[in-house]
Amino acid sequence: MDLILTGGSSVSCRKGFGDRGMRAKRIEISLVNYLMLILNWVMVVAVTGFIAVTTENIRESYIARDFIAKVEAIPWRPETILAVCVLLMFGLTLSFVMRDIIHFRDSRLQVGSLVFDLIVSIGIVYLLNFNYNGILLWVFANVIFYTKKSSGQFLFMLLAVLSFVGTDYGLASVNAPLYDIQDYISYYDAGQQSYIFVFYNVLTSLNMVLFIIFCVFVIQEQRGTIEEVNELYGKLSAANEELQQANVQLQKYADMKEKMGQTKERNRLAREIHDTLGHTLTGISAGIDACIATIDIAPDKTKSQLEVISGVTREGIQEIRRSVSQLRPDALERLSLEYAIRKMVEDTNTLTRTKVSFACQIQPLRFCEDEENAIYRVVQESLTNAMRHGRATQVEIRMWREEGDIRLSIQDNGVGCKEIQPGFGTEHIRERIALLNGTVVFDGSHGFLVDVTIPIRWGDSV
Amino acid sequence: MVRGKRWQAAAVIFLAAGLVLAIGLGGRSGDTVLEFGMFAGSNWGVANADSCIIIDKAIEKYERAHPGVRIHYYSGIPKDDYPEWLARKILGGETPDVFMVLSNDLDKMVSLGVLADLGPWMDKDQDFSKSAFFQTALAAGVRDHQQYALPYETVPTLMFVNKTLLNQAGFGVPDNDWDWDRLMDICKKITKDTDGDGRVDRFGTYNYGWMEAAYSNGGKLFDEDGTKCYIHSEQVAQAVRYVNGLSDLNQGQKVTQEDFDGGHVAFMPLSFAEYRTYKSYPYKIKKYSTFQWDCITLPAGPQGDNISEVDSLLIGISSHSRKKQLAWEFLKMLTYDEEIQMEIFRYSQGASVLRSVTGSEQMEEIVRRDMEASDRVIDHMLLSTVIEKGRAVPRFSRYGEALALAESEVLKIYEGEKNVDSSLKIARRTIDHFLAR
Repeated sequence: MDLILTGGSSVSCRKGFGDRGMRAKRIEISLVNYLMLILNWVMVVAVTGFIAVTTENIRESYIARDFIAKVEAIPWRPETILAVCVLLMFGLTLSFVMRDIIHFRDSRLQVGSLVFDLIVSIGIVYLLNFNYNGILLWVFANVIFYTKKSSGQFLFMLLAVLSFVGTDYGLASVNAPLYDIQDYISYYDAGQQSYIFVFYNVLTSLNMVLFIIFCVFVIQEQRGTIEEVNELYGKLSAANEELQQANVQLQKYADMKEKMGQTKERNRLAREIHDTLGHTLTGISAGIDACIATIDIAPDKTKSQLEVISGVTREGIQEIRRSVSQLRPDALERLSLEYAIRKMVEDTNTLTRTKVSFACQIQPLRFCEDEENAIYRVVQESLTNAMRHGRATQVEIRMWREEGDIRLSIQDNGVGCKEIQPGFGTEHIRERIALLNGTVVFDGSHGFLVDVTIPIRWGDSV
Repeated sequence: MVRGKRWQAAAVIFLAAGLVLAIGLGGRSGDTVLEFGMFAGSNWGVANADSCIIIDKAIEKYERAHPGVRIHYYSGIPKDDYPEWLARKILGGETPDVFMVLSNDLDKMVSLGVLADLGPWMDKDQDFSKSAFFQTALAAGVRDHQQYALPYETVPTLMFVNKTLLNQAGFGVPDNDWDWDRLMDICKKITKDTDGDGRVDRFGTYNYGWMEAAYSNGGKLFDEDGTKCYIHSEQVAQAVRYVNGLSDLNQGQKVTQEDFDGGHVAFMPLSFAEYRTYKSYPYKIKKYSTFQWDCITLPAGPQGDNISEVDSLLIGISSHSRKKQLAWEFLKMLTYDEEIQMEIFRYSQGASVLRSVTGSEQMEEIVRRDMEASDRVIDHMLLSTVIEKGRAVPRFSRYGEALALAESEVLKIYEGEKNVDSSLKIARRTIDHFLAR
């Protein structure tokens, strides 16, 4: 059973919300609870004491035989019943004080003390032979107060109601003969009887009234708590709404950012086209215009001029290829890595004088996207370097597997270099390979060699 | 801090409980005392100076068999004061462990839960057999089919016979198997105006009522629980008619105790206890000394036998007794021990509730000692039969009131000279209505 503790501990945790009205209500509830306890003390002692005293009176006036003839049942040892009831009341008081002042931190202890109260009070009611069961109302009040907002509350309330109804004198006497306090009251003369009845009925009613007041207080206090919860809930939903609005704005901002990126990329493309294609085409157009002018006068000069134009055109094509391939490796996106490399090799062979060969010993050539990208870029960068810086006429590309690694070597017959200068090309290659946890070695002593080792990733198919 | 306090509180409670327990146990030292509630004198309305002797003997025998156990009783409570004394004890929660129960009080004692159910003790005790008791006597202690008390002493009703008067009229003492016709014959001849003053002055019966007649005719008035009345039954109706016939012989004269004491009446029902009292010294010279008398059984009705009402004195155990085993053994000593039960014939006026004791020749010897040689001693076989077959009258809580109602209804029939059968049916309805309330 998970009971929500109330009392002192909960007051301290709700310090932030606790208002003065709530605390005053709590004191009122506690006061009524104490009053009920005192009243029940009076009632239990009065009923048992009255029976004990009256029994003694009956014995002393020698009418025991007549009395016994009239009654249905008699209590066994009225003085003992009085003593035991007082002892049980002490137990109830102790349990109540422990609960009210010490506050059980463990909810099981609290439930235990309530169960103890219920059992003890049923014991008292039994000893009183159901002549007074108001003590159960007090237990009932405590159950309501201490188990509110918990799942066990209904079970407890059901138990309490059942015990209250079940201990009604009329109902209980159906099953077993019980002594009736009225028999004892009838021992006294009419004048005294009316006083006793008034005392008995007033106190019993007062107990009932206190119980109702107690319930009203508890309900009021609970309503206060509900209002507090509602207020907090309102605040929470407002914050939630604000958060949602911020989210929408963020989404808009992200969309805008994407569009801005696209615009930026388009601008870059336009600049690239303008820088490369525009420049080349302008050169070609000017050259051809000159050729038109000189073709009849000096055909030889025109011929050499056309050769220059041809060279420029070829260079322009290459430029475009380079920039396009730098933007996106389309080939790679559509095709396999092997095909993409072969296409690059073929293109180079047809467009340039450089002869490129490609040998691959790994079949099928399939890697993860980032690996394929890296390999393709390394090959492309190396080829470009070989033609641009090494002026190489032959390039040999080889790929094979060696133990747990993929090996890639690109060897050209260009001029090479004595010392590898950190330039764009080599730096890019090194960075890309490092991202794949691989290593790369450059060697410029005989032509230029790019030697790459990439470890095969576990779980990937090669 | 809080935790420490709680432990302290627990420790204090524990110590207090221990202290209470220690005082409680320490207080019980020395002999175990068994309280016995009894009254002095006879249960049967006769004087008895020796009633305590049997109890004292039983206590002595019991205490010998149970060292360390003492039986305590208050001596000198007269029978009339005993119900009040017991009621005060019960109210104060001081009910004696073992106590005498007057047959009229049994029902109240059971409904108040004062008496322990003896069933488990009887079943558990190997040495105990219910069949040793007269069933009529045993039945007196039964309520709601449970045995709440055991009989201690039992008394059947007998018929007093004025031998002198019968002899004068030319009759002998009737045999013990006589019947209504014989009684009617004798009464017809005896009832006479002897001094010639025009008024009948010699009578057949005194105090012989329709109820005595009904019992000896196999009839009964109520069922055991006191919920049904059988006053309209044929056996009772016959008895009512028969007794009416007997009283018609007196020609309207009312028979009084003086007539009887003066020796002018032939028959009167008398309890076995009275019979024994007035037959023994000193009462035999005080009462009924002017004529010779004897006791015989009651006359049998056409549907019945020579039987009568059997009354028993009961003893029970308090339901609150903490020494029930010891109490049971003492109860057994009083009611089941043959030696003690034989003492009833020596020191009391009733009969033993044990078949073997009442049916013994030793009993006859004891009874004879008090009597004159000419007296007829009731045969042990006959006494046993009378008790065994006798009618144990159910003493339910409103028995007294119901009986008074029945008697007044029958009296109305006699006085109004109404039709017996139809009037009894009306009476039955009235009484049933009373019982159902």
